Amino acid sequence: MSRISEHPILGPTETGPKVTFFMDNQPMSGYAGEPIAVALKAAGVMIHRYTQKAHEPRGIFCAIGRCTDCVMIVDGIPNVRTCITPLVAGMKIQTQDGVTPLEVSQ
Amino acid sequence: MKRYDLIIVGAGPSGLSAAIEAAKCGMSVAVFDENAKPGGQLFKQIHKFFGSKEHQAKIRGYKIGETLLSQADEAGVQVFLNATVAGIYLDKEVLVQLNGAMEHFKADTIIVATGAAENMVTFAGWTLPGVIGAGAAQTMMNLYGIQPGQRVLMLGSGNVGLVVSFQLMQAGCDVVALVDAAPRVGGYGVHAAKIARCGVPFYLSHTITRAEGSDCVTGVEIAQVDEHFTPIPGTEKQFDVDTICLAVGLSPMSQLLKMAGCEMVDDPRRGGQVPLVAENGETSIPGIFAAGDVSGIEEASSAMIGGRMSGLAAAAYLGFLSEQDKDHRLAELEVALESLHQGMFAPGSKGKAIAKTDEGIEVSQSLLKKGYLDDADLKRFIRSNKTELTNKKSGVHPVIECTQNIPCNPCQDACAKGCIKIGKTITALPQIDEDSICTGCGMCIASCSGQAIFLVDEDYEPGYASITLPYEFLPLPQKGEVGTALSRSGQPLSTAEIIDVRNAKAFDHTALVTMKVPADQAMTARFYKS
Repeated sequence: MSRISEHPILGPTETGPKVTFFMDNQPMSGYAGEPIAVALKAAGVMIHRYTQKAHEPRGIFCAIGRCTDCVMIVDGIPNVRTCITPLVAGMKIQTQDGVTPLEVSQ
Repeated sequence: MKRYDLIIVGAGPSGLSAAIEAAKCGMSVAVFDENAKPGGQLFKQIHKFFGSKEHQAKIRGYKIGETLLSQADEAGVQVFLNATVAGIYLDKEVLVQLNGAMEHFKADTIIVATGAAENMVTFAGWTLPGVIGAGAAQTMMNLYGIQPGQRVLMLGSGNVGLVVSFQLMQAGCDVVALVDAAPRVGGYGVHAAKIARCGVPFYLSHTITRAEGSDCVTGVEIAQVDEHFTPIPGTEKQFDVDTICLAVGLSPMSQLLKMAGCEMVDDPRRGGQVPLVAENGETSIPGIFAAGDVSGIEEASSAMIGGRMSGLAAAAYLGFLSEQDKDHRLAELEVALESLHQGMFAPGSKGKAIAKTDEGIEVSQSLLKKGYLDDADLKRFIRSNKTELTNKKSGVHPVIECTQNIPCNPCQDACAKGCIKIGKTITALPQIDEDSICTGCGMCIASCSGQAIFLVDEDYEPGYASITLPYEFLPLPQKGEVGTALSRSGQPLSTAEIIDVRNAKAFDHTALVTMKVPADQAMTARFYKS
């Protein structure tokens, strides 16, 4: 998905400094302070986690921290709501599989 | 335990409005909000609001949010962010999760202004990444500057679905269709018309039968529904989309009030389980109030009035405001609220089919079914085709395609020449005073929150008419360029030359684009595509 560089009503999008973070060990870049979910969306990541029983993919749904569909493992802590958690340089983000990291990300 | 005269839960439009009124009366006020930023949903509202001057009409929602924040700051309101209220207990004790710890606060009055949560519908594949709430789309594009998707299908034709569809296009996304199981468009016709003329097809009496894709959404299938909302086999249609956006209503987040022991009631017309409240928001527990969407789903303008009422009532409850002053101020606010509750979309009219406007004109069925006024319906409302105007001398004149009784009147103040009249009832349809001379300044176009006003000159040049229309997309057309004039349904009509583009500060980001089209399209061309 692409970022909106200039909006007809809101003007140019203001961002924090560009930082590197790690998604399942792959380096990616985003803007510090934006929600993790936004940085992932800009990088084309749609799947945030797999459900425990049926192993179904889940991603952003409500984007306001209410539905918990977008939770991931952030710096080793599971069930972090990525839509309301600000991105910090060097963050280690992992796809969550049930309540543990997805195998590829370990 | 820290003590406040008033604790407010929720720093959205109603919570902040309540806080400002109460603090101005001298109360110590704390507002708790679970989000990192205050303002609730106001900062995602980038459209111009409806109403009249007292409701801050024609001002964009996020600007209203900025004003509320600075007023709260000036009044000495203390706003705690990242502060989740977990419980309201006996004697107005409030438990808050703050800085990783649970803290107790004591209030003498409480206003719960927690707002509402989005409703969802289920269909095969609805949990796939790429199925999102309309609020999520607004959050992503209007707060964080990212497109929610490239090709989007919107489910829901209420004002949220219509407004967010338009905002998606402003963010550069394609809206491939607008779908609703209801047989009629639920939101304002003017909101529907501004997306229909961009070419978005409306599928009323349709629903989503499944989302396609294995890892994320790659397509969607819709089907027509019968009168029992059951899909009719054989009517399926498929769209390639990466995003499905759900705008299917809101439910009050009233759990805290229930927990506090307030008497609750199930009221579908107010959106679900809501507290029993007096008009000033007082619940069954003296000193506990509910304001905004939590006490019944409406919109931000009425939430702000409701918040102010509760703030004043809380002040009077503790003696910070005399009963006399309270009654006087509440009476004023009641008048302001009452004017928003008039017309076709009044709370009492929810879900009802309305046959005629207050003026006795038969409503446009094409607007309700397809999102735009067709030529036959138009004739009942617009008498501005120049040959039909008696006193029209020459030159430009406004054409107002506002055909429903909605609470909105900025257009009548916008015209310095007094060309547009609505009168005291703000839901009345605007009338054009044929004796006034239009200077073509365009203030009426920019002031119309529904983008329903156009300036037309049938005799711009021999054989050609000029049409000035509101334009809120990027890139802006350039003077001299040639593109395509589109009809109200978004169908290409002819080539059009851009002869003027105005973008004054007073227009507040609504550019005025003037195009030259063949004279016979003066009353049919309503949009421009580069």
